[in-house]
Amino acid sequence: MKQSNDNKQNESKLSRRDFLKLGGALTIGVASVGLAAPLFRPLSGEQTQQDLNKFISTRKKDFVDYTRARAIPTICFGCTNHCGVIGWVQDGKVRRIEGNPLDPNSLGNTCSKTHGMISYTYYPERLLYPIKRVGKRGEGKWRRISWQEAIQEVGDRLKTCRESGHPERFIFHYGRDKTKGFTKRFTNAFGTPNRLNRRAICSSNRRVPLMSYYGRDFEWETQDMENTKYILNFGSNPMEAYQGGLYMMHRIQKARVDNGAKMVSFEVRPTATVNCSEEYFKVMPGSDGAIGFAMANVIIDEGLVDKAFWERWANISLAEIKEHIKDWTPEHAEKLSGVPAKDIRRIAIEFAKAAPHCTTMTARGSAKHYNGTQGDRGLRMLDVLVGNVGRKGGLCLTSGRMWGGGKYGQDGLPSVSQPKPKPPKPKAFTPGTAAYEDLPDDIKAKVARLDPQWQKKYQGELATPAEYPLSWHWYGMKVGQLVQPYIREGRAKVDVYMSYTYGAAYGYPEAKVCREVLLDEKLVPFHVAIDIDYSEHAALADMILPEATSLERWDPHSTNCYGLVPYTGIRQPLVKPLGEAREIQVIFRDLARHIGGGMEQYFDYENVEDFYKEWYKNVSAKIPGGWEEFKRRGIWQDPDRAKDYELYERPVPEKELLGSTVDPETGVISNTIKGKKRTVGIMMPNPETGEMEAVRGFPTPSRKIQVYDPVFPLAAKSAGLPEGDPNGNALPTLFTIPGFDELKEDDMILTTFKWNVHTQGRSSQWEFHAEIVHTNQLFINTRTAQKMGLKTGDEVEVTVQRPRGLTYRGGINEVVGVVRNRVHLLDGVHERVVCFAHAGGHWEHGAVARAENRESLPIKEPDSGLKKDFSNEIWWSKERGGTGNGAPMNDVLPINPSPLVGGQNWFDNICQIRKIS
Amino acid sequence: MSDLPPIPWESPINKSRSLKMKRAGMVIDLRRCIGCHACSVACKTENEVPLGHFRNRVRYLEQPDVETLSFLPLLCMHCQDAPCLKACPTQAPTRLSDGRVVINQDKCCGMKACISACPYGAIYIDDTSGRADKCDLCTHRTSLDLKPACVASCPTQTLRYGDLGDPEDPVAKYAKEHNAKPFKEDADTHPSILYIQQEKWMEKAAATGVQLSSEDNEIIYEQNGRSS
Repeated sequence: MKQSNDNKQNESKLSRRDFLKLGGALTIGVASVGLAAPLFRPLSGEQTQQDLNKFISTRKKDFVDYTRARAIPTICFGCTNHCGVIGWVQDGKVRRIEGNPLDPNSLGNTCSKTHGMISYTYYPERLLYPIKRVGKRGEGKWRRISWQEAIQEVGDRLKTCRESGHPERFIFHYGRDKTKGFTKRFTNAFGTPNRLNRRAICSSNRRVPLMSYYGRDFEWETQDMENTKYILNFGSNPMEAYQGGLYMMHRIQKARVDNGAKMVSFEVRPTATVNCSEEYFKVMPGSDGAIGFAMANVIIDEGLVDKAFWERWANISLAEIKEHIKDWTPEHAEKLSGVPAKDIRRIAIEFAKAAPHCTTMTARGSAKHYNGTQGDRGLRMLDVLVGNVGRKGGLCLTSGRMWGGGKYGQDGLPSVSQPKPKPPKPKAFTPGTAAYEDLPDDIKAKVARLDPQWQKKYQGELATPAEYPLSWHWYGMKVGQLVQPYIREGRAKVDVYMSYTYGAAYGYPEAKVCREVLLDEKLVPFHVAIDIDYSEHAALADMILPEATSLERWDPHSTNCYGLVPYTGIRQPLVKPLGEAREIQVIFRDLARHIGGGMEQYFDYENVEDFYKEWYKNVSAKIPGGWEEFKRRGIWQDPDRAKDYELYERPVPEKELLGSTVDPETGVISNTIKGKKRTVGIMMPNPETGEMEAVRGFPTPSRKIQVYDPVFPLAAKSAGLPEGDPNGNALPTLFTIPGFDELKEDDMILTTFKWNVHTQGRSSQWEFHAEIVHTNQLFINTRTAQKMGLKTGDEVEVTVQRPRGLTYRGGINEVVGVVRNRVHLLDGVHERVVCFAHAGGHWEHGAVARAENRESLPIKEPDSGLKKDFSNEIWWSKERGGTGNGAPMNDVLPINPSPLVGGQNWFDNICQIRKIS
Repeated sequence: MSDLPPIPWESPINKSRSLKMKRAGMVIDLRRCIGCHACSVACKTENEVPLGHFRNRVRYLEQPDVETLSFLPLLCMHCQDAPCLKACPTQAPTRLSDGRVVINQDKCCGMKACISACPYGAIYIDDTSGRADKCDLCTHRTSLDLKPACVASCPTQTLRYGDLGDPEDPVAKYAKEHNAKPFKEDADTHPSILYIQQEKWMEKAAATGVQLSSEDNEIIYEQNGRSS
């Protein structure tokens, strides 16, 4: 699979950079045409004011009048970033959103998606009343019911389930839950471990290497972008779609444009990040790891390793790693990836020489493959080799989760913790428990094969799938795409299925499986959906409860800060919920009271604000003016706190050393904290004096960076992988995706991506965003397409093959599905890749998302708060000669969890393209 | 405990409107643009621009000699020698004291002479009113010393609003330092929107300007006249 990376691209880049360097000099003495004296004649003062007043008076009467609109800070909910924003409220309506300059992550910046909050709050087809189905499930016939009736029916069903002794048969399945543990409070109080998520769809494969190396995922690694000089980007797209993207994009652009930083991107298509890179290399999907191992070899061979750092912090010797990776050379990587060996060599050297002001950036592009977890472990090694970890301009780790409980990196921060009493965690399914005895025999056998540490934590196949122990070893990432298939197989039983802002019936791989299961009333006797709009998933419910939007409700906020000083923020209601929509905190409070049996004690509040005031009491105590001042600012950050550089070198606090023990062999310091034995640090020689000191280290079992991690072979054995399978290697390992080594001439790889104006298949009803992108045509390399006789706009048929490999396979058919779509030719796409965006082809979410000039909301009553109907303005509808909204492509992507970890291998799809004449 | 920073959005908003600049304008630094469309969506939200029309639109352009793309935000250029002013028989386009060009809806009778005259495709007819409209540099904001919506929303500081008629203005200085130039300089309309690192080939690639042309369907990449 040879490919050419055009030299001309590098030459051109060089000339552009040279131009930039000369830019300042060139302007000297050159009369700048644009800045010549004004050509118009300034008018006199009185005339000026008259003209302005006249123009303002002829503007639409309802423009945002900032002389009387009120500005209230809150937290954005447009994507996963959750930036601090300011909402301008006029006449009881949110009219405008801008960035909150006090947010140390966004620094007051926002992207287009923040305006989506206005779209979804005032969308003409928003759900405003509880509704109950009257026809068959999925038929789309509904009647409006009262909240009393809704709480009564859902509450009764939940109560029966809970009192039956099988609380685990209540499944709570969510798409976007940023309540920071509030919904978990409900499921814990109920007693079910089945609070299921979509982490496997998103990021498991790139979180596992992070947790394995550094002990936690810290939300993400946090690159010190504003101080970096060199960014190696493997399939990450912060300029467009990445978690943390907004926080990174302005810092990266400053680093590049103002400080001369260089970014090199390895990708399959020209993403926004690629377009902002100094160099772009097209890579064969699934080969990023090969480049990482090759670069590691170069860095070692060239003597560019930061030996002091490696020897101090890596848990394996450099000699052993060198021996382990020696065959994975740049030439080998060229064969797999198509990136020239000479470029791999050159870039590895440039990267290492920029240390510590250099960093890697990995994401779905590198990780969402069958071999992606091990590949990312290889890429992670680069940072350790050059010693940029935790250093200025390097790859930093900063604590982002809700503060408190002695978590790593949070020393000195006020505890931010849910109000007491807190419900206990659901119990493990150990032999003798009703939940365990309810398991099918073949599942019991799988559980028996698990390592004892995991048997003790096992909570059923939905929350803790036995074949994917690494999806729940560090914390409950789970394997969301297996929930419906496992229910179909009888691995778990369901009494009540509650979905919460969820789009699996549209957006998941092989979404048709999800729909089939949801339509089967034997498998799913009752489905209640909580949502803000009529999604494909909610359309398959028995009842839908309308939720307040992010502009109408409370949520705590905390994430990793790219300014490297932890902060917290609060989402607060700017306006009252429209219609009869209710906050999740009110819905759950009322359900808990109805269910009773002790649940109600955890929801003992009348006013939702009081609950969050209590939650934030320790932060409020730090602020002059307390809670009211916190709400007025929306954000709090300790102004005196130092940046989170080199957390691992910080001393262990005295109080944690009192009564501690030190392992004589490893130097690991342990202590009993809150009744649990934990490691708190490691004895290390002072670099100058050589004297042994107690420092924090990393929150791993060895308190070092675990380049070598025995958890992988343990997991492989527990999951029943064959001996020697590379997924279970304790050292980072290179291998190819099954089937990729025998690709036929016309086999292509189908990959997906996300546009900058969309978010997780839940934004296609935002009118201004859908107007910019409403389809999902297939992007294909120009030369490849021309060989096939294709031109832009041609329709093709895509046949997707079922992947091989030792993981879940949704059937024996070799073909997952066939779909038709249009192609768009683009030079920057990899020669063997076709890619499409995850936003097209909706059949629900209303007229805008469907690009049809008719409404779909089953119950709609006039409400003055909503926008007028768009149904006559959708110029891209097919009726008006447009292209419509694209093809629902997710049905043909196979459910394909990666071994042990369960992360969806989005980009391993071998397919064939055929022109339809 | 150190003092908390001041709350910027609570600084008193000027209650009386005025335009203080000599020459209101903008510098668009294309080196920083990431094509995120924040400017265009912020503009449409702020000004309730109807679907199908834009006051500000980001074009995606395939570069002629490399495999990557360029992003180009386009809007009304607030020309100092504005063809729309000359073309309109009813004097609906008006220049305000700081040089910005606005369309007085009262005077517009929807005959579209301004649309034909504009080299930048900046003007559209609002379907409901039947009258011409376009970017007015958010006069309802800027007359209160707030930045235009697009500038306030740009996450990478690509768009910068300032007084190009004041040599001491930071944006004017930035424009000078980086040799900012008008887009389509040959149109000779002396715009007050200036670009850093715009390239000649973009003029042809984005010839239709701000509005959607009949071939445009969405942001799909524009191919610079290639045969594909």
